[in-house]
Amino acid sequence: MTQPSPTDTQPTAVPQGDEHRRVARSDLEGGVGWMALGAAILIASVRMDRLEEQHINPYTIPGLLPGLLGIVMLMLGFLLFVRSWRRGGLHPGAGESMQERWVATKRILMVLALCGTFAVILVGHGLPFWVAGATFVTVAILTLQHAQRVAAGQKLTLRKVLTTALIGLGAGLMITLVFQEIFLVRLP
Amino acid sequence: MFEGLSHLGHAWLGFMNVTSIVFGLGGALTGIIVGCLPGLSATLCIALLTTMTIKLPTNDAILILICSYVGTLYGGSRTAILLNIPGTAANAASCADGHALALQGQAGRAIGIATSGAFTGTLFGVICLAAFTPVLAEVALSFGAYEFFWLALFGVAMSGTIVGDDPIKGWLMGALGLFVAQVGQEGLYAHDRFTFGWDQLSGGIALIPALVGSFGFAEVLTTLADPVERKLVELRDSVLPRFREVAQYWRTVFRSGVIGVLTGLMPGVGEDAGAWMSYAAAKATTKEKEKFGKGSIDGLMAAETGDMASIPGHIIPCLALGIPGSAPSAVLMAAMIIHGVQPGPMMMITHPQFIYDVVAMTSMATISILIFGLFLVKPLLLVLRIKRTVLMPIIFLLCTVGAFAGASRLFDIYSMLVIGTGAFFLRRRGYQMAPFVLGLVLGGLLDKSLRRGLVLSDGSIAPFFTRPICMGFATVTIFVILLYVPAFKALVQKVTGAIGAQFKALLPGKG
Repeated sequence: MTQPSPTDTQPTAVPQGDEHRRVARSDLEGGVGWMALGAAILIASVRMDRLEEQHINPYTIPGLLPGLLGIVMLMLGFLLFVRSWRRGGLHPGAGESMQERWVATKRILMVLALCGTFAVILVGHGLPFWVAGATFVTVAILTLQHAQRVAAGQKLTLRKVLTTALIGLGAGLMITLVFQEIFLVRLP
Repeated sequence: MFEGLSHLGHAWLGFMNVTSIVFGLGGALTGIIVGCLPGLSATLCIALLTTMTIKLPTNDAILILICSYVGTLYGGSRTAILLNIPGTAANAASCADGHALALQGQAGRAIGIATSGAFTGTLFGVICLAAFTPVLAEVALSFGAYEFFWLALFGVAMSGTIVGDDPIKGWLMGALGLFVAQVGQEGLYAHDRFTFGWDQLSGGIALIPALVGSFGFAEVLTTLADPVERKLVELRDSVLPRFREVAQYWRTVFRSGVIGVLTGLMPGVGEDAGAWMSYAAAKATTKEKEKFGKGSIDGLMAAETGDMASIPGHIIPCLALGIPGSAPSAVLMAAMIIHGVQPGPMMMITHPQFIYDVVAMTSMATISILIFGLFLVKPLLLVLRIKRTVLMPIIFLLCTVGAFAGASRLFDIYSMLVIGTGAFFLRRRGYQMAPFVLGLVLGGLLDKSLRRGLVLSDGSIAPFFTRPICMGFATVTIFVILLYVPAFKALVQKVTGAIGAQFKALLPGKG
């Protein structure tokens, strides 16, 4: 274990003004989104069945609270929009370069794709959970460590693949054993 | 009173067997390991353990969950001290002084202080839990639809205000949580709302998959989006708890315990509020202000005592009112409901023994963390060496199991994925998940209370504002929201400033 250098604990220096503008820009977009959601909920609530044929008390119509929540979202979204507009949200902020943003986005998309593939395709369609789990963990570790290996100039060795597969198999079997066999929980 | 003591004695005796002790220690150990791992929260730990313990008897299952809850928050302090990353959000206040002590070569001492603060804080909270839960439950028996309406609204508003640094975003997340809770068949006429003809949505969005998504999958994405691995500070000195320092800083411990329990009573505020408020109070009253942020024992003790005391504090409204004090206690409440115990005012009538069982469970959790604090500090730190690229795929595997196991339907896995992805992007834009979770939990109660109240009053909204308890809740809720209006805030500051000046003038030597 080694002592961290002072730079380890310090956030990346981003100009204060740019950061503010970026937050304002993001809030401006958020405000529009919330207003749209609020309006959609309000319209759907007003159009919701009032169950008049069941002769229910008119104060208990199902759309009452959702409609009120739609109004609240509309108002708060409007406040967020106005606030970020006053803070300069209309001007696009600088900050991360396009390349930095693309690297981060690519990584998130990769994680989403891995998790989505496992949860939607591998699980719940007849494949035993331990097999699906072992496959997912092995592939995910190898994929996620790929960038680190490239940066360190290392190559993917057979030993590395076997170790990762062992971790994947261990995780899949352990989770199946503990949940299904010991605690009698049904697995997908 | 004697009846209460008898119930408590029975509760303690009920847990004096090998199985319960093993479950308690196992739960605490799991919690400490999860807490040690940055990014994994108490909410996720309890949600996963809820599904794992679904087939166990009620008391054993809840014992494991409570021990893991206490263990997670305790475990999080180690990461704060050694890595300068809070293991859970509640340990953020421990980072500054804990890590500063570690950098001075006193990492073991800092962990020892965290252990003694955590033990004392939880113990203080347990005493409050035993003393106040039955009293609050008795008071809550007089609550009707109007009071519950305000209680739910008050919870979401307070959570939105205090959690995070932007109340507008907090309230928006609270409103979103309340809205998501409206999806599916509503409680009065079983009418489908916002299901778009999709049968799977008729059952609504289940709480556990939503929590696993927003606290588990979102965290997996957040952690993997930032691939930098942090370095550990070396642990050289003794990690034994320093109870001499508890005695030395007894004022801080007592003050932080009270603050922790009081913040715990506020719905949806979370353990981090207890830690930060205790830290701020210690900083305001200490004689060694200059040491704060640079390795102050007073500061570390305050933060650790405050967050741990808030755990029993959060359980009090959860049991007595059916209103969870934090996201982890919301899962705990859901677990109680799954096991057939309905928290709320009627609990003192339907399950009077259960409140005392929870007191006994929380005290067992306190003893468990002390045992692990004494004997298992260094081996447990090995988990901090696991690479996050190895750990996170395994955590996602557990998230899938956790989302599925409650109702055995694939739809819950898909809703976990969707909510988790949404939570990840919302968090990146500065939105907090705690108000969303509280809204999700309280949405059903708010809807039923509003409509029932309006039926009882024949459409008049007057009783919502004129009944004594409602007046109190309404005043505080509206006041908290209005504080965000600049003109109102300026007026309040002017009035409080003037009153403060009057008081200052009365103090000796200040006039």
